[in-house]
Amino acid sequence: MLGWTKGLAYTLKQLTREKLTYDYPNKPIPLPDRFRGIQKFYPEKCIVCNQCANICPTDCINLTGKKHPDPTKKGKIIDTYDINFELCILCDLCTEVCPTEAIIMTNNFELAEYSRDDLFKNLEWLDENDENIRKVNKA
Amino acid sequence: MIRTEEMLLNVGPQHPSTHGVFRLVLKIDGEIIVEAKPVIGYLHRGTEKLAENLQYTQIIPYTDRMDYVSAMTNNYVIVHAVETMMGLQVPERAEYLRILAMELNRVASHLLWWGTFILDFGATSPLLYAFRDREMILNLLNELSGARLTFNYMRVGGVKWDAPEGWLEKVAEFVPYLRGQLKGYHQLVSGNEIFLNRTKGIGTYTKEDAINYSLSGPNLRSTGVKWDLRKDEPYSIYDRFDFDVVTREEGDALARYYVRMGEIEESLKIIEQAVEQFPKDGEIMAKVPKIIKAPKGEAFVRIEGSRGEIGCYISSDGKKEPYRLKFRRPSFYNLQILPKLLEGESISNLIAILGAVDIVLGEVDG
Repeated sequence: MLGWTKGLAYTLKQLTREKLTYDYPNKPIPLPDRFRGIQKFYPEKCIVCNQCANICPTDCINLTGKKHPDPTKKGKIIDTYDINFELCILCDLCTEVCPTEAIIMTNNFELAEYSRDDLFKNLEWLDENDENIRKVNKA
Repeated sequence: MIRTEEMLLNVGPQHPSTHGVFRLVLKIDGEIIVEAKPVIGYLHRGTEKLAENLQYTQIIPYTDRMDYVSAMTNNYVIVHAVETMMGLQVPERAEYLRILAMELNRVASHLLWWGTFILDFGATSPLLYAFRDREMILNLLNELSGARLTFNYMRVGGVKWDAPEGWLEKVAEFVPYLRGQLKGYHQLVSGNEIFLNRTKGIGTYTKEDAINYSLSGPNLRSTGVKWDLRKDEPYSIYDRFDFDVVTREEGDALARYYVRMGEIEESLKIIEQAVEQFPKDGEIMAKVPKIIKAPKGEAFVRIEGSRGEIGCYISSDGKKEPYRLKFRRPSFYNLQILPKLLEGESISNLIAILGAVDIVLGEVDG
């Protein structure tokens, strides 16, 4: 008959429980190391193999390479590297295929911008994004 | 003489209790619904067509976004289909990690349903309790896979990550915690007179209806049909666990509530056993070629998702992309019975009936 009073008793019991919410913008949210946030890019490690651009399911990575400035060395070095965060779904496949770990996920997830153009991140921006970088990149 | 006429009423597409972008065109006579027409497709992204130009590994993040409330089962169905075609043997440790992830996700999905279903009747506090406990599962899955909803965790031949240190202990601790919480949930809601009045005998259908409309999952089991693919066609390593298939006979909204609440408990049983049996060491990935090519031919697999049977059909011509991919999305099939259920009901029951069917619009629209 008075089933709802039982519910009320449960609610009252919960009043004494510890608070669970975060004071979010003032306090950072603790995130696990594996968390997939905006990528960090190391231009010096990149060997321009194009694997990240090929595996990307949404085709949001564009990159170009140039010849090594030192003529005695073989291979290419990176010239431009852009990720379009209008498209990127942070699926982690680019970091998974990278043979030199030149691209790595970070814990930074705040991507909101006032302009769509600002979501287009270039090599310099991705290089400077060097906080909270994932420590263990491959299982 | 009073002249009466029928009226057209649009519910949605941006109505909070449609749980997504779903529109219902109602023909009403006063308070009574004469005809209901669901309009879907607002969230259609063409996953199946997109997949035709994607490698198998690239399709996995797209499946995350179908049923975004329980993405692990979607991840599993695509990798399971490709593995079946290739005849791959998945390492034991990977299988256990998959089971743990899928069952945790099923619990999270049912908790979300529990909270929002009762929220539809106007009760706000259960939602907060459900989200509090669901958050703990999401944190566990976040630690495991690196994302809270769109996990992209499974790979053809295994899983991406091994369990982090201390993770299994946390899962083991979580099981008794949630069991205790479930008792509180029943105390809070199951005996409440308002809740019972709003759900008992509402949206009833029979066993035959359920089968004819090809319903699956809790929607089917609430009519008394004992059909669960984890038991009846065991895939992965489900045959190693001892659990029951929860059924009810009534076929109304309340029966569906009890089936889902029972399923949470059964999932907890599976999680408990999986943690106990978890192999101490072993590989998490089978030996697979770098570029995965399914052999020429076709395959259809089905598994028990949180909302029903998820099927995946792949037709391959031996290339690294599928020739055709098709998902049997349970929410879409379960939604079919809605116009029949709504006929002759009052508008105030609409939300309860729709809520009890439990649809996710990402899955309905594909």
